[in-house]
Amino acid sequence: MSLRISALRKSFDGRVVLDGVDLDVQAGEFVAVLGANGSGKSTILRCVVGLESPDSGDILVNEVPARPGASQAAMVFQKIHLVGRRSALDNVCTGALGRLPLHRSLSPLLFPAALRAEAMRCLDRVGLADQADQPVRRLSGGQQQRVAIARALCRRAPVLLADEPVSALDPHAAEHVLTVLAGLAGDGLAVVAVLHQPELAREHAHRVVGLADGSIAVDAAPESVSDRDIESLYGPAGLPPVTVASA
Amino acid sequence: MTATTDEATTRTTLPRRRWPTPRMLALVGVVVAIHVVAMRQTDFSLGALAQGWSGMADFVAEAIPPDLSWRGVLLPSIKAAAVTLHIGLLGTTLSVPFALALAALAARSTTSGLLAYQTARSVLSFLRSVPDVVFALVFVTAVGLGPFAGVLALVFHNTGVMGKLWAEAMEEADPGPREALRVHGASRAQVVSHAVVPTVLPQLIGLLLYRFDVNVRSSLVLGLVGAGGIGFLINQSIKLFRFDEMFTHILVVLVLVIAVDQLSGYIRRRIGS
Repeated sequence: MSLRISALRKSFDGRVVLDGVDLDVQAGEFVAVLGANGSGKSTILRCVVGLESPDSGDILVNEVPARPGASQAAMVFQKIHLVGRRSALDNVCTGALGRLPLHRSLSPLLFPAALRAEAMRCLDRVGLADQADQPVRRLSGGQQQRVAIARALCRRAPVLLADEPVSALDPHAAEHVLTVLAGLAGDGLAVVAVLHQPELAREHAHRVVGLADGSIAVDAAPESVSDRDIESLYGPAGLPPVTVASA
Repeated sequence: MTATTDEATTRTTLPRRRWPTPRMLALVGVVVAIHVVAMRQTDFSLGALAQGWSGMADFVAEAIPPDLSWRGVLLPSIKAAAVTLHIGLLGTTLSVPFALALAALAARSTTSGLLAYQTARSVLSFLRSVPDVVFALVFVTAVGLGPFAGVLALVFHNTGVMGKLWAEAMEEADPGPREALRVHGASRAQVVSHAVVPTVLPQLIGLLLYRFDVNVRSSLVLGLVGAGGIGFLINQSIKLFRFDEMFTHILVVLVLVIAVDQLSGYIRRRIGS
């Protein structure tokens, strides 16, 4: 089992966000996590990588307890979090900082040739080898997110977490990014992606998990997830009518 | 829809004037009182200025026209201005490593702990609170009169000022890249060098150029206390009542300051674009 989460609980200022979440993800599996805003989707991922400390529960990554700053999981973020003025290759290399000695890591000029070659392979894996020299700020949003995925790959982690990786992307770029993530699961990684698009989850994921009120309310194969399940996560479709003052 | 229309009508009513509250008036009163005390303590008097204007006029009359003799005044002035520029340059660049290290420890987002944070903040406060002129006097006693004392004085004082400014820039850096690298196992030093510094590099360079600009002007004052450069020549001219020479030196300083300002502005614009 690549990722095992057991009885995970977390609250913020007395408000319970995660109330005993259990989730197992196998190597080679792509799990999409759905749920309304505030349902705790991102909190699960942040607990796995140590950005949040759980109140209780266990998190094992490759049978090793996840510790803050030393989790064996890599992560990509909705806001991408790359350094825009640096090249795609330099950004990808920073995924390996944790295993570099300090004297070879304080500047991109000091990065070992082997690391640069590995970063190039990671960029190639996400289809961006031809953009390696480009400053990240010159790339499109979808390309930037793929650079972030390449950086996570350079971490050599067995588990890849993606926190709303396509929320800020147009449909074409979102499709491309999710295809890459599904391909990485095909390569043997355990991939967990928080999504807000049920149709994309059904299309790309091997399994759909839905969170409601801090607990897992849906856990099924994509073809088994009904519209009623989705409604139970997000509430009935539609918004209250908006009154606009006449001129 | 009727309710909505009524609401819109209500909203178009002219709001009442907001007169100053007693609290605001009291605050203005306090500020005025502080200024009155400050004027008394500094002997501020427009009358004294009006009475003594003829002294200033004599001073200016003696300075004009400036002595522009090449070999005797202008050439030494330009050479001394170059020394002033170099004092300012070295005083700025040699403080960079110290300011960077202290800034990283003095920024809440990058410091290694409360003790390091407080220590770095205290060191920066000390270096900033001791005027560069005082540092210059101290170093003159150690290395003698001359530009080197001025360079050392600026390195120390500028480390304090630039370290503080850089620490604040680092604290305002986007936390996202920092968080991402921490997740990927980067150490604190790696996070600073790969997430914080590159993210705020334009701000750091902008502040560096601003300090260079300030330090060139400070090195002029340091010359007055024996640290060499054109400030030293201005002091000599005043002591010898050669105000025409002094005016020449001031014109050279003017050109120098404008040139440095233009250069800094050009580099800042290039970085910004």
